[in-house]
Amino acid sequence: MSPSGELLASISSALAVAFVLLACVELGDAATAVGVYRLIQYDLAGAPLGSRAAVINHHAAALPLPAGADLSRSALVAPLLDLPLSFLREYLVEKKHLGGLLILLPTNHGDKESADDKGKVKGVLTELEKLLVHEQVPYPVYFALHDDNFDNLLADIHKIASSGQPASATTGGYKLVVSSAEPRKVSSPTISNIQGWLPGLKGEGDSEQLPTIAIVANYDTFGAAPALSVGSDSNGSGVVALLEIARLFSRLYSNPKTRGKYNILFGLTSGGPYNYNGTSKWLRSFDQRVREGIDYAICLNSVGSWSNDLWMHVSKPPENPYIKQIFEEFSDVSKEMGVSVGIKHKKINVSNPRVAWEHEQFSRFRVTALTLSEMSTPPEFLESTGGLHDTRESTDVESVIRTVRLVSESLARHIYGLKERNIDVFAENSSLAINPHYVRSWLDLLSRTPRVAPFLQKNDPFIAALKKELSEHTTDVHVQSDALDGMFTFYDATKATLNVYQVASVTFDLLFLLVLGSYLIVLFCFLVITTRGVDDLINIFRRPPSRKLKGA
Amino acid sequence: MTVFHFLNCAFLTFGPHVVYYSATPLSEYDTIGTSVKAAAVYLGTALVKLVCLATLLKVPENDSFDPYQELMKVFIGFIDVAGLYFALTQLTHRNISQNHKFQAVGLGWAFADSVLHRLAPLWIGARGLEFTWEYIFQGLEANANLVMTLSLAALGSLMWLRKNKPKTLIPIIYACALLLATMPSITSSLVSLSYYSLGQTCSNMQLLEEVIGVADTKGGWLRALLLACYGFHQLAAVLGLSETDVTRHP
Repeated sequence: MSPSGELLASISSALAVAFVLLACVELGDAATAVGVYRLIQYDLAGAPLGSRAAVINHHAAALPLPAGADLSRSALVAPLLDLPLSFLREYLVEKKHLGGLLILLPTNHGDKESADDKGKVKGVLTELEKLLVHEQVPYPVYFALHDDNFDNLLADIHKIASSGQPASATTGGYKLVVSSAEPRKVSSPTISNIQGWLPGLKGEGDSEQLPTIAIVANYDTFGAAPALSVGSDSNGSGVVALLEIARLFSRLYSNPKTRGKYNILFGLTSGGPYNYNGTSKWLRSFDQRVREGIDYAICLNSVGSWSNDLWMHVSKPPENPYIKQIFEEFSDVSKEMGVSVGIKHKKINVSNPRVAWEHEQFSRFRVTALTLSEMSTPPEFLESTGGLHDTRESTDVESVIRTVRLVSESLARHIYGLKERNIDVFAENSSLAINPHYVRSWLDLLSRTPRVAPFLQKNDPFIAALKKELSEHTTDVHVQSDALDGMFTFYDATKATLNVYQVASVTFDLLFLLVLGSYLIVLFCFLVITTRGVDDLINIFRRPPSRKLKGA
Repeated sequence: MTVFHFLNCAFLTFGPHVVYYSATPLSEYDTIGTSVKAAAVYLGTALVKLVCLATLLKVPENDSFDPYQELMKVFIGFIDVAGLYFALTQLTHRNISQNHKFQAVGLGWAFADSVLHRLAPLWIGARGLEFTWEYIFQGLEANANLVMTLSLAALGSLMWLRKNKPKTLIPIIYACALLLATMPSITSSLVSLSYYSLGQTCSNMQLLEEVIGVADTKGGWLRALLLACYGFHQLAAVLGLSETDVTRHP
């Protein structure tokens, strides 16, 4: 090939590549781009649940809907409080199709909201979550935080809708586009349990193992929107309480003179919402001797929003001497604090796979255990596990501090045998005082971190942070990872970006084409007339005169 | 559907040029060579202008009216005129009459201008889902630009190609040319001094002058018509200005 030919070929191929690249140029030019969070998608024992689709590419519609509107090709945008649950239920039950659903969660306006407003929102959120999490929703459902952009959008949609026609391809309006990848299964989800020890003081004469007291809390959450499941109260409060107790006892145990004759085991478990799967695996990983050395275990679950009543849930009958002794210790301390602790007994049914409280897993291994919680009744499956309403505002630092005081004082009296003595081990203004700043900063951190277990990898920075914190207070910190129970399968694509475009209808484009065509034709005729004369214009349209006459 | 919008706007922007070529006797005399040469000259002129602008102008720190900068812009505007002069007089055209020559040159010039300034934004922007009026305005501006370029070419051919100019009109013609070249600077300075309506009337007066200037030449009534449509260009400028104002103050 001659050099010029080669040059030409390379130039033409370069041009071809340039054209292909140009064809792919697609810049983001939306009117608004907002982060949105998808409803959870999971399979429970093979049954598909949650939102099964992720991509939205439909026109936006808003409530109130015009009569007889067909929503299968529109995405409904609704603020939470305007969405009637009966409407949603009806759609789900009758299997009517929606193009997509975008629910706008109310953002807190601080002090402007009254207590019953908050209560109402919480009630609606809980109901909505219960409805959506246990149903199979064939269309994409997204949650977004309600702000001014959405207010304007809704107002505009209403304006268009009030003109009588619902938004569709022919009438213009707004288009919601969420382009996310097809949701795929999370491969081998892991649950990571973190444990730390505070070894007790072994005297010279003691040949046996020291007894152990365990303090356990589960740190993961589950909610309708996994990217928003921060679980401040369930169970962020429990985790923070555990960390503070660990800190206090590590101070006591750092000095051999004040080290007690008990080992203290701290456990941060995962897999809580899934029948405390993780706790079971964690206990199974223990050596049997270690397990038998556990005197009793205190599980903390949701201790962040109580004021006067805390509940102690047990599976052994309250007449049991061990339980009686522990309950008396708690009662003594609570009386001094001015709060009350009640005891609730729930027998465990070994054949029932449902595990409502964490202590039940201990009981199945024949370890005495109890759960301290503000909830008086056991939660249902996948409820009170850190849902949409469980944000930082629903927890307060004072409750956590109260819990810490209750547990640590009773524990100290038990370990050091201080019964009947009027001693406040963790008194205010002492070096062992409970640190509210520590509690607040950890509570804030936990309220910012969504912690749904299948989306937390083994090496997630949050797990590393918990491990690091625990190793500051305890020794022998170990992270045990295991696979999540096979009954659950989760799908990813939890977060996406919503683009809102303002589109013109097809009729507009056609109209424009018509106008343009007529303009060009008029221009053509005008120019022909002015430069060549009217005759020329007519001649263009006349057929050429036939030659037949001449030829004949 | 958005490719549809892109095609619509492309027709609006480039259609009139094609229609002009095919409707007028230009197509009969096959003056496409002239147009292509004019387009090439425009390309060269644009490059030279860009280089000069980049070298000589500074990025303005504030919005104040800087006479020095405006003067530089005026001088660079004259490069435009020089390019047109080159295209009209120095290039070898086939044997085509004056009338057709200036039309062909103007057409080629305007087409190159449209392609260079408007094709890329159109390709990138009009294909998106979001609908704006911007590209339609751009198309209208391209139309007006065609008219203005034709009128400029007419003026140029009047100035440089006709040997016998009516004596009385010479100063008017040159005044018109000067005003034309400096028009953008004058309008922007008037706007910045918020004498917006004055700027408008100024352009109208200029239009009137041009119409008077060429109306009495033979076969020049077409030219007069073209220059009368100069107002169209000003309208587009107004639209463009108001658009940018709207977008600049959110």
